[in-house]
Amino acid sequence: MHYPLLLAIWLLPLAGAILCWFLGPQLKGAAGWLACAMLGLSFVATMLSWSSGTQHVAGHEGAHQLLGSWLPGFDFGLLLDPLSLIWATIITGVGFLIHLYSVGYMHGDRAFARFFAYMNFFVFAMLTLVLSDNFIGLLVGWGLVGLASYFLIGFWFDRPSAVAAARKAFVINVVGDVGIMLAIFILFANLHSLSFADVFAGVGSLSTGTLLAVCAFLFVGAAAKSAQVPLHTWLPDAMEGPTPVSALIHAATMVTAGVYLIARCAPLWSHSSGAQLLVGTIGGLTALAGAILGTAQWDIKRILAYSTMSQIGYMIMGVGVGAYQGGVAHFFTHAFFKAQLFLASGLVIHALANEQDVRRMGGLAKKLPFAFVAMGTGVLAICGIPPFSGFFSKDQVIYGTLAHGHPWLYAVGILTAGITAYYMCRLLFVTFFGEYRGDVDPSYLGIRHPELAGTAAHEAAPSTHDHAPAWIMSVPVGILIVPTITIGFLMAGGDRSWWSRFFAAQFPAGHVPATAISELQTTLIVLAVVVAGIGIAVWRYATRTAQDDAVERLRAESVHMPAILSNAFYFDAALDMLFVRSSQLLGTFFGRTLDPQVIDGAVREAAWSAGKLGTIVRWFQTGLLRTYAFLIVVGAACFIAYYALAGGMH
Amino acid sequence: MSGALPVAIGNYLGLSTAIFFIGVAGVLLRRNPLVMLMSIELMWNAANLLFLAYARVWLNNAGHIFAFLVITVAAAEAAIGLAIIVTVFRTRANVDVDEVHALRG
Repeated sequence: MHYPLLLAIWLLPLAGAILCWFLGPQLKGAAGWLACAMLGLSFVATMLSWSSGTQHVAGHEGAHQLLGSWLPGFDFGLLLDPLSLIWATIITGVGFLIHLYSVGYMHGDRAFARFFAYMNFFVFAMLTLVLSDNFIGLLVGWGLVGLASYFLIGFWFDRPSAVAAARKAFVINVVGDVGIMLAIFILFANLHSLSFADVFAGVGSLSTGTLLAVCAFLFVGAAAKSAQVPLHTWLPDAMEGPTPVSALIHAATMVTAGVYLIARCAPLWSHSSGAQLLVGTIGGLTALAGAILGTAQWDIKRILAYSTMSQIGYMIMGVGVGAYQGGVAHFFTHAFFKAQLFLASGLVIHALANEQDVRRMGGLAKKLPFAFVAMGTGVLAICGIPPFSGFFSKDQVIYGTLAHGHPWLYAVGILTAGITAYYMCRLLFVTFFGEYRGDVDPSYLGIRHPELAGTAAHEAAPSTHDHAPAWIMSVPVGILIVPTITIGFLMAGGDRSWWSRFFAAQFPAGHVPATAISELQTTLIVLAVVVAGIGIAVWRYATRTAQDDAVERLRAESVHMPAILSNAFYFDAALDMLFVRSSQLLGTFFGRTLDPQVIDGAVREAAWSAGKLGTIVRWFQTGLLRTYAFLIVVGAACFIAYYALAGGMH
Repeated sequence: MSGALPVAIGNYLGLSTAIFFIGVAGVLLRRNPLVMLMSIELMWNAANLLFLAYARVWLNNAGHIFAFLVITVAAAEAAIGLAIIVTVFRTRANVDVDEVHALRG
């Protein structure tokens, strides 16, 4: 089953990256259009592949293209089945819209072509990850997206905070890469193959402990990439990158790679209840922690970052407990509405000359009606208000946890839905309602360190353009609104929905036991909690008195913010203590003790002994010809004496 | 079988040893490089004398061949030695070997 069109999907973005990189100075502004065109063609190729990706031929699902053989048993190939098709569609489709948006957002940046080279390179890396038909290819893609993420977080490398954030993201991601490598080693030692088909066929022969170890190591990778507790701390910092990067990499695609990995390895998880419990619990914890931290942020992008972390927690919880369809569905809808939320926040940031602190916004609904509509629909979708897309997918995940026998995760999911509604509406109300507060003195708003709070010129975008969003930025947001509102209907209708039939072969529903609370009741409970969350947000931020009193209330909230929330549950401090400090202590030991005293000491001793030997031997070197002659005679005499005596003995 | 010698081999051995040690003493004790060269020449010739004596005793021509080789090497050595002495004399106007000790360690 050869399918060369796969090569086009995969390699066009790479071609775009290479062209933008090497011809950047010549292309100038055209680099953006070139990158968009390459990605657009890749998207068209993906669309043309839908029928092939969903076909069933002789028990094999989807389309396959062999790339080459390395050693016997190591065939590298590309695989397009329903799962990778969903991911490729989001990567190329949403990626294309975000590229288009970037043409406007990055206009005038002095490294315009470099930005698009990185973006196209990222898309290529992400496609490598999702299209590979074996674990090695997946790991290669996994590493490359981490590299692309590092490049793009640190894109404005003249800002120390961006460089630090990029380094942090890279280091934490490498921890994940090592986890996946260990899982691969265990798999290969036991099954002698690394293609997905062989591994999944041989799952039954693995012992429970081995399988749990494989799943746990794979999950270390997934947790690092998908910002799961406790490896999530890099994601909020990653907002140092340009906003389109946050939308594409740190919301829609790369951070969901962990969801993809677990969904791809569904046969492993389905055989290991221990792994299901582990991953489901971590996912639930992450969803809850991200939502709670989201309530305490003031930077518009950090609020969205924590909400991304929380939503990915939902996805991980879903695929972790075995609700693969639900988890992937939430990825699918989240990619649209979260990209839209980020792009809408980009419109706001762009219009306010790089202001990112929501306390200094307010009343923007009148100034930026389009951004308000975009942000508003995104918020409704993420809250799960019917008929917006998030409503369908989030309920699938929450009900899936109950159906697979995890009532505690079910409760966490419902609680998180309420908190999500609260903090997203808080973001919306504080930003767009009331009076504009940009001209209020920051100290009245409780902003103690404006330069630290993301207030002053945080995004180093150029200042020499008018601040009305150009059409090139509005059009992609406008297009995204459509799926944000409507895409959920693909998942409407339970077992008979289009979504269920699409994944029927890959993720068979199996026997779902009757649950104490039905799916409809779940929907109603979630809706009630969500409405309560929205109600609290309205009461605190959107009533007439709250709007009139906004400055004083925001100041009070900032000043009385609990330390545990403003320090993000001290995760950074704990990781710093555990790993960074201990590494530094180890480094100090090597640098101050082991290296100078043991290693250098050995070298110094060797040099000293050589010198000592030299001073002894110098004594013979008189420089006098007759001394040498005498020594030669003595030497010759010794030789002769020796052989004379030895000969005498024989 | 050994060829008859008009003079007993012991006499050749004694003479050769005497010449050799005269040469050794000359090299070790004299400070004039020209005399030292001549002393080395004495040692060469002591060796030659033994080569030829034993070639005659054992009726083996290898000894003659070695004698020619020794003469050749001795000639080369004398040429190089004289060249060194001339060069040293030109730079120092003095050829006392005890004064030439720039290579002292």
